[in-house]
Amino acid sequence: MSQEIKHIISKGLIRLISIAVIVLGFNQIYTSYFLNTDLDNHGPMLLELSHIVDTCDVIYFGESSNFTTHPDDYNTLRISDNIAAKHPNKSFGTINHGAYHVGMFLPLVKQLAMSKPSRTIIVTMNLRTFNQDVIFGPSEANLRLASRFYEPSLPILNKIFASLNHYDNRSGHERDLLKWKAWTYDTLVSHEDSVDFKYNTIRRWCEVPKFLDSAGIQDDAKRQLADQYIKAYAFQIDDSNPMIQEFDELLQVAQQKNIRVVFNLIPENIQDARYYIGENLVWLMQSNRDFLVERYANLGATVVDNLELLPSKHFLDRAVIPQEHYDAKGRELVGLKVADML
Amino acid sequence: MFSTLVDFYAAQALHRQKVTWRRNVFLGISLSANLGLLFAFKYLVLFLPSVDPMIANIYTVDHPFLGFLLQGVYFSIPVGISFYTFQTLSYTLDVYHNRIEPEKHLGHFALFVSFFPQLVAGPIERFSRLMPQLKAKHVVSYKRFQQAFRLMLYGFFIKMCIADNLSPLVDAVYDNPSTFTQWSTWFGTFAFGLQIYTDFAGYSLIAQGAALCLGISLMDNFKTPYFSTSIGEFWNRWHISLSTWFRDYVYVPLGGNRVSLLRWVVNILAVFIISGFWHGANYTFLIWGAIHGMLYLVERLINANKRLPQTRFVLLAGGVAIFICVNIAWLFFRIDSLQQVPRHVNALFQTEGVQNLTLSLPIITMLVTFLIAEILTYNSRFDRLLDRYPTVLRWIVYAGLIWCIAAWAGVTNHPFIYFQF
Repeated sequence: MSQEIKHIISKGLIRLISIAVIVLGFNQIYTSYFLNTDLDNHGPMLLELSHIVDTCDVIYFGESSNFTTHPDDYNTLRISDNIAAKHPNKSFGTINHGAYHVGMFLPLVKQLAMSKPSRTIIVTMNLRTFNQDVIFGPSEANLRLASRFYEPSLPILNKIFASLNHYDNRSGHERDLLKWKAWTYDTLVSHEDSVDFKYNTIRRWCEVPKFLDSAGIQDDAKRQLADQYIKAYAFQIDDSNPMIQEFDELLQVAQQKNIRVVFNLIPENIQDARYYIGENLVWLMQSNRDFLVERYANLGATVVDNLELLPSKHFLDRAVIPQEHYDAKGRELVGLKVADML
Repeated sequence: MFSTLVDFYAAQALHRQKVTWRRNVFLGISLSANLGLLFAFKYLVLFLPSVDPMIANIYTVDHPFLGFLLQGVYFSIPVGISFYTFQTLSYTLDVYHNRIEPEKHLGHFALFVSFFPQLVAGPIERFSRLMPQLKAKHVVSYKRFQQAFRLMLYGFFIKMCIADNLSPLVDAVYDNPSTFTQWSTWFGTFAFGLQIYTDFAGYSLIAQGAALCLGISLMDNFKTPYFSTSIGEFWNRWHISLSTWFRDYVYVPLGGNRVSLLRWVVNILAVFIISGFWHGANYTFLIWGAIHGMLYLVERLINANKRLPQTRFVLLAGGVAIFICVNIAWLFFRIDSLQQVPRHVNALFQTEGVQNLTLSLPIITMLVTFLIAEILTYNSRFDRLLDRYPTVLRWIVYAGLIWCIAAWAGVTNHPFIYFQF
């Protein structure tokens, strides 16, 4: 080894150690004075979790299905409030944020301390989040940025990685391309005689004329909503689905921490899916549900199957979009069913 | 690979030819291949049907050829095509003019074309400068690593702390200028000038640092351009590798300044407009180039008739005027279409907007730090500047920059602006 290389290694090591010490010192300053501002701006759920983590027996991880209300609702109770009301002897905490899914819940669960051995977490499982529209959705990069801040490592390292865009930060352009590829080339397959996918991709299915009257004029509003249903539910979950991988990891992490996991498979508007599209789409929703329930029951989680719990009237956005926003009665019914399984 | 192979063999072939027309044929092959690719990927969009890029994929099923074109234009544009195309063009032209001997080793030539630190966004290097370094035997040196890390540290600082923190403010103003107060609109407009400078200069410094780790010294691409006192000086300090490329391969072949006044005016305008067009297939870039061309002409014509005394006041006034003009010209660079110009200009002079841009204390601190660094590096480079400081002061600077990068860098996703070119 030449003298120069020895010189570089010795000086370099000293400098690397010095930089590491500096960064550790900076971590203290950053955590004390700047972390909360960053969390407020980019990852607010970690602060909320820190407020409840030491006191709650049950933590509900939810998204907008938990809290969305309508002016006509007779109350504003969330699903988690309805569950808590049935278990007054347990302390409940709720973590929820619109559009969040398992990708954000996973690092939060990793942050859960093991100090409460009898803890239960209820994690929202939204069937629609397994589709390509969500996986390659426009808000995904921002959500992944938030989850970067939830990772259980030095806060200043999380900040550095976030600044270096070390998360799934694919551009809207890339995501659009991937979504279109999936919609064009991913084929739907059925091994049952009763189900025949004449239009076996989302694109082909959407292209089919729908809601034509006797004069051949299309009802545009219904047609658009029908296509939304296809884009939302015409997919088949398998092991390669990124959400499955994250649910698997979440369950594994929780079990290592001796935390009981309850997956709340929230209701979808099966009634309207049947009306706008038909039995083929309902079959896809049900077979995906069967896949999830069987998989996670076998892996030791409690799966509360609420998929077909609510009729269409409980879905607030049913005239516009397939969305899991329920009225007060809907939230109550879901809450009661989950509470029964606790 | 296509560009590499075409230029490698075309340059060798034209070098072997003694007859001019044959040399011209091989030069033509090289130029057509390079400019053809550049045209196909960057400018064909002007002539294709105006469709949503999302639809491009669908066309591959129903209209394979159109789909292929659209998909190529929208989704498959090679990274850094504008930069490496100019680099290989300069090589072929230099061989044609017998300024250099053609490279005989395909591997070495491929490395020259695709040398990774500068492949994506320059600096656009010349063969005569880069190739001897690529072939030289390199010895590991502590001093070189030290310089390299200093360059990268400062590059990361100005990209992540200045450009990425200004970016959300600039985006907000350019998206909805009328909702902001006059002060905020002016600030947002000028902040883009700072954003694009720190974004691009930051990239160039990181590229220089990365190359220096491998023993390769890339050319300086920026030298504190906003301290220029004339538009001519600005272009000697801004994106130097591109401006010198246009000078050597467009302006000089057109006759430079050894032509009639009218022809010279045309030459100047042509160079600046082509330079604008190089950035992309949008009229906004043409106008941006034309504005710079006009500014340059006005400045040269004023100086030709009456040379102003170079007093401090004149230099300062010139600097302020250039700073304002250049930053207003950036407006055309930043907007997506000409329809946005009246909306933005109206917002600059209206008083109805109520939203205010707020600058946090960390951002203000970093802007001041950057300004001081720019003043200190006016006639130097950051790595060389630090050589003059004692160890303790150097480490204070390192620690300060590391703090800014670690704790105060912007976090929203803003890729390097020049990656799109």
